Parts: sequence; structure tokens; C-alpha cells
Amino acid sequence: MNFKIRAATKEDCKEISRMILELAVFEKMPDQVKISHEELERDGFCQNPFFECLVAEVPEENKSKEGNGIGKGLLSKVAEVGKKKQCVRLQLSVLDWNTPARDFYAAKGALDLTDSEGWHFIRFDNQNLDHLANEAPKD
Amino acid sequence: KMEYKLRKAEPKDVPDILRLVKELAKYEEMEHQVTLTEKDLLEDGFGETQFYHCIITEVQGEDSSDGLKVVGFAMYYFTYDPWVGKQLYLEEFYVMQEYRVNKNQTQTRLGIGSGLLRHLSNLAMKTRCTGMMFVVAENNEPSVQFYKRRGAEDLSQEEGWRLFRFDKNSLVKMATPAEE
Repeated sequence: MNFKIRAATKEDCKEISRMILELAVFEKMPDQVKISHEELERDGFCQNPFFECLVAEVPEENKSKEGNGIGKGLLSKVAEVGKKKQCVRLQLSVLDWNTPARDFYAAKGALDLTDSEGWHFIRFDNQNLDHLANEAPKD
Repeated sequence: KMEYKLRKAEPKDVPDILRLVKELAKYEEMEHQVTLTEKDLLEDGFGETQFYHCIITEVQGEDSSDGLKVVGFAMYYFTYDPWVGKQLYLEEFYVMQEYRVNKNQTQTRLGIGSGLLRHLSNLAMKTRCTGMMFVVAENNEPSVQFYKRRGAEDLSQEEGWRLFRFDKNSLVKMATPAEE
């Protein structure tokens, strides 16, 4: 299988947005997706981008249902970027019931820190963030 | 009454930042994991590319002849959630024990921790972040309660998210291209 991994361009944002939604559907949380390709274009391709992105593409005729190492290829490329920038770690989050993903990462040497050290992800958003920002008493 | 000053960290604050990072790691019983140096902090926070931002809090020393003493800090950066956009990621947040609010004290002013958190929330709103995220160790009861009291959601509990990490060896192994 011929596939190519490259840095995303602004023009890729529509496709990236489509795939973000596909993944959210798989993760059973599609209603949580609130942004579209417009925000991706604005936030990823401005002067100080808020994210970087890699895309994998295959020629149309090579569509297939078999595994072809594209996932591994993408992860390796991310690791390469990290290595080049002298990063010491790669961190990510995975859903507890997503066994294929957990196994995929574990097979490549990732540790489940929620398991081994008890780390939990915490978030303040929307009204809760607003309340925090306005908390009395004022200075 | 606790008088404190909150400001952006400067290169001269690097030794204090590292001191506080180590103190917090010690509290979390993981101090042996801190391999960061002052040189790293300086390059990574005040160099060409900024990998983190830092706010520090200072109080007046005991004697009037003492200068200001750095007693707390917050280290954060901006990250991206593909579902909702910009997020403020709070990486480290610590106030030295002797400068934290004693539950028996009456406060006319926010404690340092609350002040830092409010400043960060304001910053998140100003920069159009839709959320502020971080990780907490589940056995850190005081911290868990501090955040829950203020409306934080535990995404690990509520949605089942688990934190995974690849260390340097695994990272390097993955970065090596496979034989064609």
C-alpha cells in the first residue's frame, strides 16, 4: 500500500474536520464537536499556530479494508517530530473502553499513567470557567 | 491578611521556578523524576520558541529589609482540542504550604491559590479558550476537592479518559523509520 504522510495545509482542514467528526462518532461523543474547518483554518495556520497537524493520503484506487500500517506511520512521524525538537516524552489520552487503541499504544511502549500513578484529566469549561474568572472578592 | 503580588515570570525567576517545581514533585512523592535544569527552563521559557508560560506570586519577606520572596507559581501553555478549539493547559500549579489559606482564617482577599486560578481563568477567557485543562493525581484529595468546589469536571471519571505516556526510549524507537 502506497501512502504518503505530510504536514497538513490550510486546504486540508475540510477533510481534517470530517475525520475529527468520524472519530468523535466512534468515541460516542459527536455532539461535543463544536468547531468546523473554519476554526481549524484560523487557529492552525495563523502566525502563531495553536496546533500542528500531519495527514496521511493514499491514491483513490488503493482504497482497501485491510490494515496497511498507516496508523503506525502517522505515530512514527509524530515521534520523529518530537525527537527532532528534543522532546523527552509523548503524552496522549485514550478512552478506557477503547481496547484497540490502548493495545496499539501499549504495544509501542506507552504506559497507562492513570493506572500506574492515578492521574485524572480535569477540565473547567464554559460557565465554570466564567465563574472562576469572576470569582469574588475583587482586588 | 495576606498581601501578595502576581506577575509574569522573568528569566531571573528561573531558579525559584525550579525550586518550586522540585517542592511540588516532592509533595507528589515523585521528586526523583525531576531531571529538568535551570538551563532547560531558561531556554524553553525565554528563548526563541516559548514552550511554556509562567506566572509567579511573591510576598514581602518577614523583615522589612528582606526583598520579595517567590512563594507560588503556575506554569501553563496553550493546547488545542479538535472538538472545541483553544484550551489553556495548566501544567503546574503550586503555593508553598506556609503561604496557603488556613481554613480557620477569615479572608478579605482571595488566597494565593484562588488568586492564581482566577488570573488564569481570566487569561483563558481573554484568549478565547473554551476550557482550562490539567491532570491531578487521584490520591491528592486536597487538590481534587479544591478544583471540584470550583466546578471542575473529572473527565477520567465521567468520560473514561486515561493518560498515556511514551518515554524517551519508546519515542526514539517509534521515530526510527521501519525497513522498507
